[in-house]
Amino acid sequence: MSDTPRPDDTPPGLYDDAGNARFFADPAMDRFVAVVMNMAQEMWVQEERLLALEEARGAAPVDREARLKDFITRMFAPIRNA
Amino acid sequence: MSVELQHGMKPDLTADEAARGRFVSGIRGLILNDLAADMKAAYDRRAAPAWERAHGRPPATSAEAHKALRGDPAFNIYSAMRVQAQKMVWASVADSVEREAGRLGAAAQAAAGKAVLNPELDVPKNVGAIEVHLMPGSYTRGGDSVEAGAVYDRGLAVFSMGLMGANLDDIGLSMARYIALRYPDFAPTRILDTGTTIGHNTLPWKQTYPDAEVIAIDAAPGGLVYGAARAAMQGQDVQFVQMCADKLDYPDASFDLVWSSMFLHELSKKQRAAALAEAYRVLRPGGLMLHMELPPNAEMSAFDGFYLDWDSWYNEEPYYKGYRDEIPQENCVKAGFAAADCFQFVVPSVGIYGEDAIAAMVASDAAEAVGQATTGRLAEGVMWFGFGAWKK
Repeated sequence: MSDTPRPDDTPPGLYDDAGNARFFADPAMDRFVAVVMNMAQEMWVQEERLLALEEARGAAPVDREARLKDFITRMFAPIRNA
Repeated sequence: MSVELQHGMKPDLTADEAARGRFVSGIRGLILNDLAADMKAAYDRRAAPAWERAHGRPPATSAEAHKALRGDPAFNIYSAMRVQAQKMVWASVADSVEREAGRLGAAAQAAAGKAVLNPELDVPKNVGAIEVHLMPGSYTRGGDSVEAGAVYDRGLAVFSMGLMGANLDDIGLSMARYIALRYPDFAPTRILDTGTTIGHNTLPWKQTYPDAEVIAIDAAPGGLVYGAARAAMQGQDVQFVQMCADKLDYPDASFDLVWSSMFLHELSKKQRAAALAEAYRVLRPGGLMLHMELPPNAEMSAFDGFYLDWDSWYNEEPYYKGYRDEIPQENCVKAGFAAADCFQFVVPSVGIYGEDAIAAMVASDAAEAVGQATTGRLAEGVMWFGFGAWKK
């Protein structure tokens, strides 16, 4: 990635030595955001597994898209209106 | 929402893979709608006023809006999450493509799509060496196997959140419908799509003008092999050819329509100028050059310009901002077209708004509101921007 050309008016300090974008003062925060998102994704996978099991045992079918929207809204509420 | 592809190369996902893809589409919805709105509010409330206090005027350009926002908490969280979500798009489809490589390869062979590769072609750096859209391996991943095409197709289905249609052809369908209605006497018999990738926005032109010979070119071989199979499986007779748009191997005056979608911004300034000149050269008199693209910065506010240019800094789209700083009509004139024969327009997504909305746009002659907030933004209520020129 570090060989990628950039726009002419790119400000300095946007990337680390490997060419990865940096946003937070502490670069560990950029990685931490990625970890949190990966964790949320894997939690959602488990949620869908649970829903499938419950439905197989006779529970009413659940709209996955609507449930996911609620899940994401709850999970990421603390970062809204930053 | 995520979308399930409706053609023969569609994935056979495990439940976990489907859940991962659904999550990525969902989190992108949060980022591109809600967090983007939070960032705009932060810009209005904090970043722009701070800039104005320091400089005596508000940010005037995309680059200045970017500098004003750097370091703002809303910008940081939007950007960090959007970068990670982009990486998750490709990660969410990698397992299924790897697992189904054998099936897809065999299916492509059986489909007998029309793909003509050129192993001697020197694939440009912007196609093979830059990981465009943070896509690992870029467009040349897997060489001339179907891998790159499958990753792109499946990834775009996750990325687009349902806003590009069931087969990711909403741009082509919307644009082709607009042209057919706006110019009812235009009846192309030979159509060239430049930078086709997998042909998803090529097929609508064959559907709109079924008697036309349609050829789709790209520099990357894998997407063409995949796209040819994908087209054949949908019953569409389209030829896919490995070729660069800035060096066409076709004679002068040999096409009626030269089209591209979301392509010009991936070329360097020099390649782009050459591609437009080549389009002019191969068009017959009365022919049309038409490009769907991101709208130019000159048509929008500093913040809206920055919002689209974000990809240039953070999504491995190095030529994106340079392209958007240009004026489409000026590029067309440099390529040989007369200024009076150039035009630009905005068309509603046919998938979201329906054909009646496009017809109403044509009837009212109102497809000129290029600067409206939803133009070019892959979010709720997307509108597509296009420009073109007639060769007289």
